[in-house]
Amino acid sequence: MHRRVHRTVFRSRAGSRSSNWSSPTSTSTSTSTSTASLVTTSCAKKSPRTRKPVSTNPNTRVAIAMTAEQNNVHNAEVSVVDSLITESSTAQDEVVRLCTGLIIDGQLPLLQRQLHADFLKIPMSFKLPPNYTGLDASKPWLIYWPLQALGILDPDSLTGDILSRIGPSIMACLNETEGAFGGGNGQISHLAATYACLNALAIARDEDVWSQINRERLYKWLMSIKRPDGGFSMHVGGEEDVRAVYCALASAALLNIITPELTEGTAEWISRCQTYEGGIGGAPDNEAHGGYAFCALASLCILGNPVEMIPKYLDVDNLLRWLSVRQYQPEGGFSGRTNKLVDGCYSWWVGGCWSILEGALFGITKEEILWSKADLQKFILCCCQSPKGGLRDKPGKSSDFYHSCYVLSGLSEVQHRYSFSLKLPGAGSGEWSFMWTCELELPDVVMVDEKNMVGPINPVHVLPAGIGERMHDFYAALDAVAA
Amino acid sequence: MPLAYLSDYSWDDVIPIPQDDGGENPLAPIAYQDDYKTATGYLRAVMSFEEVSERALQLTADLIFMNPAHYTVWTYRARLLFALKKDLEEELIWVEEVGRQFPKNYQIWNHREVIVDKYDNPSRELPFIEEMLELDSKNYHVWSYRQWLVRRFDLWITELAYTDRMIEDDVRNNSAWNHRFFAVFGKGDDVSQSIIDDEIDYAESAILKAPQNASAWNYLLGVLKCAKRPVSEIEEFCNDLAAVQTTEHSVDVDTDQITSARALEVLAEIYDSRDEVDKAADAWTLLAEKYDPIRENYWKFKKSQAIHRLAATA
Ligand SMILES: [Zn+2]
Repeated sequence: MHRRVHRTVFRSRAGSRSSNWSSPTSTSTSTSTSTASLVTTSCAKKSPRTRKPVSTNPNTRVAIAMTAEQNNVHNAEVSVVDSLITESSTAQDEVVRLCTGLIIDGQLPLLQRQLHADFLKIPMSFKLPPNYTGLDASKPWLIYWPLQALGILDPDSLTGDILSRIGPSIMACLNETEGAFGGGNGQISHLAATYACLNALAIARDEDVWSQINRERLYKWLMSIKRPDGGFSMHVGGEEDVRAVYCALASAALLNIITPELTEGTAEWISRCQTYEGGIGGAPDNEAHGGYAFCALASLCILGNPVEMIPKYLDVDNLLRWLSVRQYQPEGGFSGRTNKLVDGCYSWWVGGCWSILEGALFGITKEEILWSKADLQKFILCCCQSPKGGLRDKPGKSSDFYHSCYVLSGLSEVQHRYSFSLKLPGAGSGEWSFMWTCELELPDVVMVDEKNMVGPINPVHVLPAGIGERMHDFYAALDAVAA
Repeated sequence: MPLAYLSDYSWDDVIPIPQDDGGENPLAPIAYQDDYKTATGYLRAVMSFEEVSERALQLTADLIFMNPAHYTVWTYRARLLFALKKDLEEELIWVEEVGRQFPKNYQIWNHREVIVDKYDNPSRELPFIEEMLELDSKNYHVWSYRQWLVRRFDLWITELAYTDRMIEDDVRNNSAWNHRFFAVFGKGDDVSQSIIDDEIDYAESAILKAPQNASAWNYLLGVLKCAKRPVSEIEEFCNDLAAVQTTEHSVDVDTDQITSARALEVLAEIYDSRDEVDKAADAWTLLAEKYDPIRENYWKFKKSQAIHRLAATA
């Protein structure tokens, strides 16, 4: 089925029935000889079809000197432009002006790895200044975003000391009676907070902390915020949206507590969120939006075999059309909604939709990349790197941890090709989101400088590859013993 | 000088519960200002014994002005309002103040929904929504609140005219277009063919103002699909915007006549639906090479899909 010879080097394939992504710093003794850490260079040696390293002068910020055409990018403005001026077109013109000022034909800046890593380590080294008070109810995100970003940018920087501090920091957000997490110490349980906490705990790889999670209570709490229509509320008395669905399902998948009761009616509810535009809104009738589209697709990947679930519950043709219109020329980035501006974070939200659709619905051929990876790479490297470190929405905005996380995750999606591989035997409920593999993207799709490589991720959970798999396996093993 | 938390009420009997960030050396601690630190200390304390009091209500108001994204405070506040039987109209007026001060905050909309639902009176809502949409005409949470409101109080009658005004202001405001679709189809009743005709006309005249405008195109295609009418119905309209000369098997383009890549795209769909794959392929090639090149891969995909389908049925 898959025409490409070379398979992922990130995934342990031999031996155990439950073959999982190996985590970059895995200490487990795997029987597989193909288990490797993020060794992109070993890839290049094994297969003639993988990327050739591009020679670069370390002293220059220019990584690739080629014409726009050779580089597959579209730097020219579109040939047909409407003359009518409205608020939207004025804002759009300004963004084009800002971006084209940074996009230079034939020049692609290097990823400023050290600068970004230094920025991302701020929450691990310093007290955040008082203007972060607005994120006081998003503490788990302030922990998760930099961890996810560093986990793919510079996994070695996640030292034992940092990893050991995740557990206590996260457990301070726990509400013991519910087994769920709030946005900070003493805050009520919230699905987004719970999702971010569990993702951070997955990165911590601390089995002692994992065993402190009371899964029965958490399951009861999830059921308490499930709505009769199949959706979920963010918290008791909170809003119902597809983000809540995703956070509930992703959390339950990590903890291996997915049941038919928990998921009853949920796929149908997601289906109702697809709009006439083809994209997916936060709730039925709401406007199609890239962030919610990702949440919906990722949720379907947890609910069942995505190869069957996605076409069953969504109009795929219309979705593809809407997704393809998210990419703008000449900026190269994605917008989240029709006639809105490009924004770096959609590199993941929209890029993640592509990785899921390509992995689940298409085989792996060059033609089946339906968008321009080269242009997104251009947007990320030229427009989303803040000179002060960290990644940003667009030129003129400051960097932050949220955008750093999702811009870098988007860069990972540019550099890798994901595929869903049904794991047999033993495939069952609760395991669907852990059957993704990846390989490096082909150079004729996008030229990537070796120096800019970031690690692969699990496209459903938005975690470094192998990390969520390992946490899920921990609980699955507990449940196997109990059964 | 550190700011203490100032309140009209006495807090002498309450022992604040300090923030616990977790462990000796927690990740992402925030250097709070003293008033916030003190106020959240009281909040954790009064919430721990579920205090219902005027001073707790005042505390939630003060905290919301310090951090309006603190969802816990909002939910506690809603409980207090109901338990203390407060005047809900007054609450709505207060929330409007918060909204004006923090226009990007979205917790207020869930709170407002809870209050208005209980109050069972929508009279303040449309003017406030309108005021907020004037600040940000694409505010996602405001539009989604408006949809809830329309359903809850059966306010469908005003909606078409409102979206018309918003679209008049900015024909590219996709949120307004989405709301228009909701206004026409959201009720779930059968929509008469004359209304469908009106909507097709409405979208077409909007397209003529800005032929590349994806919002209007998506609406037009959405209406046709929802009404189960064929896309070929708008072939002539598309031809005017993308004047392609077609022979039996191919498309010639007078390049000066293409004012809308979307029109060309729809023409390709129409040809494809009639199994005129050669012509559709020509149109897709034009899009890939000239009129919408960043989507080159998508156009190639459409082409190969059509060719495969034809081969399979041949
Ligand atoms: Zn963003």
